[in-house]
Amino acid sequence: MSFKNLFIKHERSAEEEAWLQEEIAEQEDRFSQIENTMEDLKPIRAQWYREFFDRISTTGFNVDGDEKMVIPRDQLPVQPDGNEDRVVWKHGVDGE
Amino acid sequence: MARPHIEPFCDRDVSFKNMNLSGFGNGMRFKMLSLDTDSGACSITVQFEGGYKQNPGFSWSEMEMIVIDGELQYGDHTIRKGHYLFVPAGYAMPAISSEQGALVLMMYNTGEPSHVESDEHHALAQVGLHHDIDSYMDIPWAMGNVVKPSVAAGCLIKLLNYNPISHAMTFLYCMTPAFYQDNISYHDCAEESYHLWGTSWMMQFGDVPTGGYFWRPAYINHGAFASELGCIALGRVDSKLFNHFHYNPWSTPVQNQDRSAARLYQRDPLLYKWMVSHSHNHPHGPEDFEQNVHRHDQDKVSDGKTHSHWHGHDHDHHHD
Repeated sequence: MSFKNLFIKHERSAEEEAWLQEEIAEQEDRFSQIENTMEDLKPIRAQWYREFFDRISTTGFNVDGDEKMVIPRDQLPVQPDGNEDRVVWKHGVDGE
Repeated sequence: MARPHIEPFCDRDVSFKNMNLSGFGNGMRFKMLSLDTDSGACSITVQFEGGYKQNPGFSWSEMEMIVIDGELQYGDHTIRKGHYLFVPAGYAMPAISSEQGALVLMMYNTGEPSHVESDEHHALAQVGLHHDIDSYMDIPWAMGNVVKPSVAAGCLIKLLNYNPISHAMTFLYCMTPAFYQDNISYHDCAEESYHLWGTSWMMQFGDVPTGGYFWRPAYINHGAFASELGCIALGRVDSKLFNHFHYNPWSTPVQNQDRSAARLYQRDPLLYKWMVSHSHNHPHGPEDFEQNVHRHDQDKVSDGKTHSHWHGHDHDHHHD
């Protein structure tokens, strides 16, 4: 990912490379902690999903801004077999 | 491989580290929020200690910055809470100091943090892109419906930076107390947010408090949304923002991406067919003639010995 703006090419110094490698290692740890925390949140999240389905089938789903549409209960999605509830995707589509 | 998905994360949960890279001097401490493992681009929360001083100089990377708390002396200007700066790569910033200390969010967009002491801009610096503003006092809140379909009323924004080519944006946003929006969203771009104050909630990740942060790659579900007491945050997207709303919490990033492509096909079938039929390996996309067209003013530059007459090529000629 890039903001597509200007970068002025230069040689990365040994000091900068060492700094980068240290930060990459720490980021790996941070990511693992996030994955574990989000795994632990699964039971509560399941409840949040149920409450969400209840709201969009009664008060409505936000289609655009405050415009709402009530979703009939028989149109609500069902969790596919074998599809775990996953919310953290390390590199998005590149990690699937 | 680019920046990973960091969500949720709260910088209040970790300690500051000393910034030991050359050029930054003593008294700069930081917390890493997210890091591009290839380029070194990163977002960091920075604590400048009282008495901190940095000499004039530039970064090899483009940099954005907002003051979260405290006061900084930026050349002749005193900048405070809410002050935002966009600093192009190679732009020589004036001396920076802080008498009492300051808490700042810094975003290095295209490379690792760097500071090369210099009171002159680098020859390649796009100096005219530099801008800064007191985002709290000098810009009014606007409705959040800058894109359609839009967020619900009660989510307001202040646009701070806009890239007209990539449509990347930096903006402040706030959610009013009792804000809620009952849909799931994903985007075709990466999204980043740092909570300057207050707490919001997302159905996948729970509460994001003050100091809460995320860097989210494209096509990842987020929402429904709510904020009980309100919040104010700095947000960024790295290309055009489009809200793909739906209500299936189990869709994957690849499924979401397929849906985006399907919607492009439905909306712009001719363009889609052309893109697919020319599906060679062009990682930077097809050529935009407006960016590469040969222009008159490119030939007007003289090195003092030769010159041209706006021709696109050189040839011998004489003058009287």
